[in-house]
This record gives sequence, structure tokens and C-alpha cells, in this order.
Amino acid sequence: MVAEGALTAGCRFFAGYPITPASEIYEVMMRELPARGGLALSAPDEISSLCYCVGASLRGLKAMTATSGPGWALMIETLQYGLMTETPVVIALVQRLGPSTGGATQGAQGDVWLTEFATSGGYTIPVFSPSTAAECHDLTVHAFNWAERLRVPVVVLSDKEVGMTTEVVDDAQLAPPAVIERSAYQGGEPFRAYGFARSEGVPAFAAVGGETKVTVTGSAHDQQGRLRKNAPEVIEVLRHLEEKIEAQASEIELVRADLEDGARHLLISYGITARAARQAVAMLRQEGLRVSLFQPQTLFPVPRRALARALEGVQTVFVAEENLTGQYRAVLAPYLNGKRAIGINKIGAMITPSEIAQSVRAAEA
Amino acid sequence: MAEARYLDASAKLPYCRGCGHAGVVRQLSRALEKLELAPRSIVLTTDIGCVGLADSLFPYLHTVHTTHGRSTAFATGMALADVLLGSGPLKPVVMIGDGGAMIGLLHLVHAAQLNVDVTVLVHNNFLFGMTGGQHSALTPLDFVTATTPGGNWTPPLDLVALLRAAHAGFLARKFATDSDLYETIAEAIAFPGFAMVEILELCTAYGTRWNELTGSKLKEIAELQGYAVGKTDASLERPSFREMFWHLTHNSHAPKPAKRQGVPSVEGATLAGELRLVVAGSAGERVQSAAGMLAQAGLACGLYVTQKNDNPVTQGSGFSLSEVCLSPRPIEYTGMEVPDVVIIASDDGLRELHANGTLAHCGPDTLVLMDSELDAPPIPGRIVRLPLRKSATPARAALAGIAAWLALSPVLPPAAWDAALANVPPDRQRELFEALRIGRELSESA
Repeated sequence: MVAEGALTAGCRFFAGYPITPASEIYEVMMRELPARGGLALSAPDEISSLCYCVGASLRGLKAMTATSGPGWALMIETLQYGLMTETPVVIALVQRLGPSTGGATQGAQGDVWLTEFATSGGYTIPVFSPSTAAECHDLTVHAFNWAERLRVPVVVLSDKEVGMTTEVVDDAQLAPPAVIERSAYQGGEPFRAYGFARSEGVPAFAAVGGETKVTVTGSAHDQQGRLRKNAPEVIEVLRHLEEKIEAQASEIELVRADLEDGARHLLISYGITARAARQAVAMLRQEGLRVSLFQPQTLFPVPRRALARALEGVQTVFVAEENLTGQYRAVLAPYLNGKRAIGINKIGAMITPSEIAQSVRAAEA
Repeated sequence: MAEARYLDASAKLPYCRGCGHAGVVRQLSRALEKLELAPRSIVLTTDIGCVGLADSLFPYLHTVHTTHGRSTAFATGMALADVLLGSGPLKPVVMIGDGGAMIGLLHLVHAAQLNVDVTVLVHNNFLFGMTGGQHSALTPLDFVTATTPGGNWTPPLDLVALLRAAHAGFLARKFATDSDLYETIAEAIAFPGFAMVEILELCTAYGTRWNELTGSKLKEIAELQGYAVGKTDASLERPSFREMFWHLTHNSHAPKPAKRQGVPSVEGATLAGELRLVVAGSAGERVQSAAGMLAQAGLACGLYVTQKNDNPVTQGSGFSLSEVCLSPRPIEYTGMEVPDVVIIASDDGLRELHANGTLAHCGPDTLVLMDSELDAPPIPGRIVRLPLRKSATPARAALAGIAAWLALSPVLPPAAWDAALANVPPDRQRELFEALRIGRELSESA
């Protein structure tokens, strides 16, 4: 459904390399994209996959690749290039158990830090996290929209259990946003490849190969794309790369919140574990416990506004995620109004609804 | 005057005195002049190193300054996209050094295999100049560099020979001092597929400092390495990527979008809540496809269904397992806290269910339906043992097991199978209906 979402979003270029559990996306794109007027290609490795996508995007096409943790590790160089050159591109990252080649056929949510904190300088990479096949579709469309709108690489971070489980999707369940195209340079003002009037603005795009001369560089540059050292404008450009994302943070944030009046407990979970959390909340409510559920579909930028609303009146916070150390829990810590978050963590298998419910009950007792 | 379209004639070249790069950028500009290419139809893609300074010298061309070694890959992406757009041709010209050629060797090889319209100029000055004169994979034997003070002992990579093995259409090896270099570059750019020109150069900062090296000695070095020199390969026999793509998209086998089909609608499912079933057997015995048919049958009855499969890393040996959840309501958790039904078609499957903990999680309401040859596991629920493999054959044991269970607990109507098997080819369909019949019959003895 990530592939279907990409097609809905108008993706026209895909380059991929086989890796469990992301090969299904690769195969569907290889089959379906050419049939719908796009180009899908097998790359010789993951570095090439993302380079091809970035090149195609520079030429003007919406582009995507798909991989898992070991391939993502190879793509991080080009992720940074995409960030620095303000090139829209989408990466579908289907997590599996790590580190290293880890467990190819085992799920995990262990790549949250590796995804978000992969750039030198610590820039915000928008990350969406689907928990169902239907969300895979819709969030991939959102990912393309934000990639195009902000001229930035965007990650759809799923996992083996979401990515490789076949499930029924009713077309009526799908609610993709309207498709957005990157804003094109219209002439008038002289073209500057990285020009912005305000720091949080997004430069108008001109394709390599068009009538407007384009200067692209991954090195520190001014708004015209010229290499500069010690020029204040270079620092302005570097600030702008973060500020254009930050300025849209409240609009990027997507959550599924199921808040209960007077809830004492807030359960936070995302991706595959959010499904177990929904079931756990239903169990706990039947037992008479007041529990709210908060599923960030946008992991980054952190959906701070919606989170603040969810935290109102809550005494304890739980974060359930399939990793060892509570990666997203650590990310959320500064945003919890001083409340401590209790981690519900496990690796090697999905966290079950009973395990989540038991952790909440234990805090209640 | 003509140079104004390409090289900025007024710019001071940023290279050391005598550096080969200066000659190459002038010859590149002359080549573009000769071809009379529109400046906006070229994208100069520069790598890291002194060679990467060239983009600022060509203010009229599109320029893309990339990461180390990746210039060829980004150029390939642009060229591929240009083929799809069909508006070009956009001509990417890659300027890369000997260091970048090795770190990005894979990209050169694949671009050659694709025969994509990319021209790569490899500036081989035998070392990494920008970082202090360290040796590279293309450093000649006995050459002295910062990191081979006693002379290089690793034989240099013959790029022309290597890319010939990758079926590159156009290959040449020239000297930066060749007065006709521009003609070779022009031919390479005009070539409709992948072209590589390796240009042997002097690095006057380091190459000439530690070695007895002059422009005229470059030929000698090439000879000592056994290098072919000049235009070595130029064949139009292989179609370019552009031609290949056109061919692939303009024939009767060109891909067509998958047809969307409506889901058949079958009445009579009596499932009140979630039902979690696991079927386990051996690889190659159609375990997962049998579970898939059950999932299709559930879907036809308007149920929500999830299915997930598991197997060892190798797909064709050991166990094969599939978990199916059927429910009248949307399914959240897709795992098996307590399985409702366990179907075991072989010993591989039984062992895996022990290993992955499924059997340990069986409850008093769990039904285990297994081949009668297997040892019954010690579980609290009901165990039914039937001669699945013997009666239905190993390859149909899983489906027969599912059919036997459905006969015992008819939560789906028989018509659901007709819907599930509707799109199966007729001869295979007969075989599957036969397995279903055997399963139902076996259930009568349970």
C-alpha cells in the first residue's frame, strides 16, 4: 500500500534494490509504475538507488525508493545530499530487527533514531509512521506532498509487520490528501537555485535540463548555489534548511488520538505497536480504567501541539514501542511537561495487547 | 567569442600551474563548441576533489556538484528521467578523478551496463591531489605518493578494460596534453549511450614533486601499465537506454496496469468475533497458498482478514507457516496471543510451532488439527488427528486440514470456497476442490 500511495501521489520514478522486508514495494513498483507511464529500475545497490532518485528529482520527477535498515545505512550519505540540495524525494523504510543485518524476517521499531538523527547538523527529516495498510497509502501521499512542498527528503517509516502482513483494505477507508506539486520557478526575479525571501520560505524549483540555468551543490553555498566559505549567507542557508521545516511543524503533524475525559493514563504508541495499543485500551476501558491513546502518525517533527492537548490532566504516560531502549520515548521526554514516561519495550516479537494492558494496570495498582 | 556559451573565458582557472585539469576544461569547452550543443542541454556533474571546481567555470551550463564518487549515479538518475520525459536529450557530462572513479566504480559499471546517455571524463592524475597527494587505485606501479613513499606496489586498475567487460559502448584513453583531446570528448558526448574517456594527467603539486614526471613521460607510464591508448571502443551495436526504453514501452508486451476486480459477495458467514488460525507445514507444500485461499474465502464473506507468512531465510526448505485472522470487525493486533485453531501439516511445521512458542500459548479452547503421523503436543485444548498427508498428498495436506476444520466449525459457508477459487486456472482448480472434498470427508471421522 506504500507503493499504491506513491502511485496516488504521482510518483513517476522508482529505483530499488531487493531487501526483506521492503522487496514487496520494489516489486509492485517494478510492475505497476511502467504500466502507468513511469520508470522503475533495479539499482546495483542502495547508494545508487537513492542517487538515481535524487537525480531524477533534479530533472523534475517525483521519486521514491524503498529499503530496510541495512540499506538505509548506505543511503544516509545521499539523504544528506538531498537535504542540502533541497531535493524532494521519498524513502520508504521498512524496519527489521537490527543491528547490522539483524533478523531479516523479524519486525522491529529500532530505526527511529537512525532515521531522524542521520544528518550532520541534526536537521529535522519529516518522518511518517503508518500502523495499517490503509495508513501506508495515505501517509505515503502525505510524505510526497511534504517532500515536494518543502523540497526535502521524507521518510515513511513502517516495519516488517505492517509491511508484510496482507490485510483487507476497504477503498472507502482511504483518505489521501489532495496531491501537491513542487512550486515551480515562474520567471520574473532572476532565478536563484536556493533563493528565499524569508528564512522559512521554500525556494522555487527549476528542473535541470530546463531553460533556466540550475546550479546544484551539496557543499556549503549561498542562495545562488555558489560555494562560499565564511560568508554569512552560507549560515543563513543552513538555518533556512531547518527553519523551513520547523515553520510548518504544526501543519505536518498528523495523529490519531482517542482521548477519554478524565483519563489518568496516556498511552502513546506508533506503527505496528499502535495496533496492540488500541486493543489494550479497549480491554482496559472495559475494566473501568480511564485511558487515553495517542498515536503520532507524524513522528518528526514531533507533533507537539496535539501531544500537549493529549497530556492535559494526565498523571502517567506510557510509550509502547518495539525497541530496546525506548527511542521515541527519549525523543518525547522534553515535551511531557515534566511527566515521566514509562516505557513498554520488547524486541524479537510484537508487543501484545496483554503486555501493554498489564503495564498500565501495574501503574494503577 | 563562441567560448562564452560554455567556459567562462574571463575566469581565472583555479588550478596549480601546469595542472592537467586546466587543459581538460578548455578542451571540454572546445568539444561543446564543436558539437554546437545548446548550453541548457548539458548538465556538468562534478565530483569531489580539484576536478570538482569545474562547475563554477561553466556559468551557462546546468551544474550539479555532488558527493564523492556518486557523480556518475546522480548523472544516471538525471539521464534516466530525461528518457522518460522524452523532451531532451539532456547530456550529462561527469567530471570525476581517479579517486572518485574507484569509490564510485559501481556507478560507472552500472551506467555502462544500462548504456545510459552519460559521458564520464575520468581525470586520472594518479593520486588524490586535494587532500595531499595520497595514492589511489589508479596509481601506476612504483609511483611515489604521500602514502607510497617507497613506490606503489598495488597494480593500477585498468578502467578501460574493466568497463569493456561491463559492455560500455564508447571507451577512450587520452593524455591531457593531446591536442585532439577535444575531438575525442566531442565524440564521447555525441555517443548516444554510455561513454568514458580516461585522461592521463599531471598533478603538478604532488605527482611531479616526488616522481620524475613530465608531460611527455605520461605515454611511457601508460605503456608500462600495458594500457591501450586512443579511442579503444566505439560500438553502436548495443541499443542505448533511450532506444531500449522506447522498445520496451512500445510493444505488445508493454506492461499494463493491474486490473482491479470487485470482491465477490457471499452470504452466510457466522463468525461472531475474531478467529486466529495458524497453519504450519513444510516449504514447497503450499502451506501459505492454502492459508491465502482461506483469507480469500473470508474476504468474499465480507470479513476483515489479515494474513502473515513466515519461513526460514531460505524460501524453499524447512518450515512454512501462515497466520490468518478473520473478524467481522477491523483487526488491530495481528499476532497470536492465544490461537483459536492450529493446523499442522508436517513435522517441519510442528517443530516450528514448538520453537516459536505458538503451542505453549494454546488455551483450553484451542483446536489443534494435525496429521495423524505426528506426535500430539501436550496442550490443554482439543486435538484432532487426521491422515492429511496420506489422503490428500503432502502438497494438499494444509488445504485439506483447513477444509476439515471448517467442516467441524462451519463459520464460513461452502460457497466461500467457490469465490476464493474463482480465479484459479481450471486444472489447478479441480485439484484444489478435490483437496477440500478430502478434508471434509476426513472430518467425519473426527
